[in-house]
Amino acid sequence: MSDHPYVPEIAVDREGNEYEVQGWQGDFFGGKFGFWLFMLTEIMMFGAMFMVLTYYFTLHHDDFINASASLNRTLGGFNTVVLLISALTMGLGLLKMRHGDVKGAKLMIWATILLAIVFLGVKAVEWTAEYNHGVFLGLPALQGGLPESKPFGEIMFFGMYFTMTGLHGVHIIIGIGLMLWLLKRINAEKVTPEHYILHFNLALYWDLVHLIWVFVFPYYYMIGAGLSTGGH
Amino acid sequence: MATTKTYEEERAGYYKVLVGLLVLTAVTLIQPTMFLENATFGVQMLIGVIKAWMIVMYYMHMKGEKLIGASVIFAMFLVAFFFVIVMIDVNHFQFGDVSHITSEVTSAGGSSATDH
Repeated sequence: MSDHPYVPEIAVDREGNEYEVQGWQGDFFGGKFGFWLFMLTEIMMFGAMFMVLTYYFTLHHDDFINASASLNRTLGGFNTVVLLISALTMGLGLLKMRHGDVKGAKLMIWATILLAIVFLGVKAVEWTAEYNHGVFLGLPALQGGLPESKPFGEIMFFGMYFTMTGLHGVHIIIGIGLMLWLLKRINAEKVTPEHYILHFNLALYWDLVHLIWVFVFPYYYMIGAGLSTGGH
Repeated sequence: MATTKTYEEERAGYYKVLVGLLVLTAVTLIQPTMFLENATFGVQMLIGVIKAWMIVMYYMHMKGEKLIGASVIFAMFLVAFFFVIVMIDVNHFQFGDVSHITSEVTSAGGSSATDH
């Protein structure tokens, strides 16, 4: 793989005995376990956000239901399905890579990138509509003490909504960048059917992004669904 | 990743999980207006947990992973532990009259929570 000749790293103990330091690049389990530890920090970060959300939902139950009722469930539901299918394409890509179909794997990664862009596009449409309805971070409706201010609980709801869906969107953008990098590594034959830990970990990352949305969607879009027929 | 399944078997598994997740998503969308309308939040979170379990077990290949599984359970326990503490706290909230995280502050000075 590498253009450089392999030069072993030597460690010496107190008695002067020499040992060759083992490279861990081929340690599949180590790579997977390390990435899971990173993902656990993500779970705890989003877990803390959900905790804050639950805290305010308990204190401002009716405001949260009213605010949730005004979100666009059609677009949110569409994005849920898009993300669900993208998790499938990512998984199938990894499956194809493991079974030696590199071309098919690359095609599936491109399909995942395309679906991720669709997700972001729909999110942009949704946020634009919300902005046009005066509901966006920094606008008077979401600032306290003004005549046009929404009730305090709704301000909290929308503040958390834009924060969490925004952070989730950042994860999608990072995922697109990582998938493009993965394609580059595949083209350079650094990721192959024999050495695919990078592809495996990126598939895990994409599943995590999907997993977070599995809870973001019902918590924001569905809790007030029984109240309303509309949306921004 | 050691597996004894063929490509076709694994692919079929992915599609089965997809169908399950799509069905649960459909239930998520229709539930608030179709059944258990008074328990929407609980039902929605329950569906979310089932979907999450399917994703973690099958798409994230957690089945049979002992060390990683234990790590995930530990992290989830930490989050759940703090969740319980916070929920006990919020259900016994004592400072509504003077708090800036409740809707109306009616204490001396007459300031509103929304001032902050």
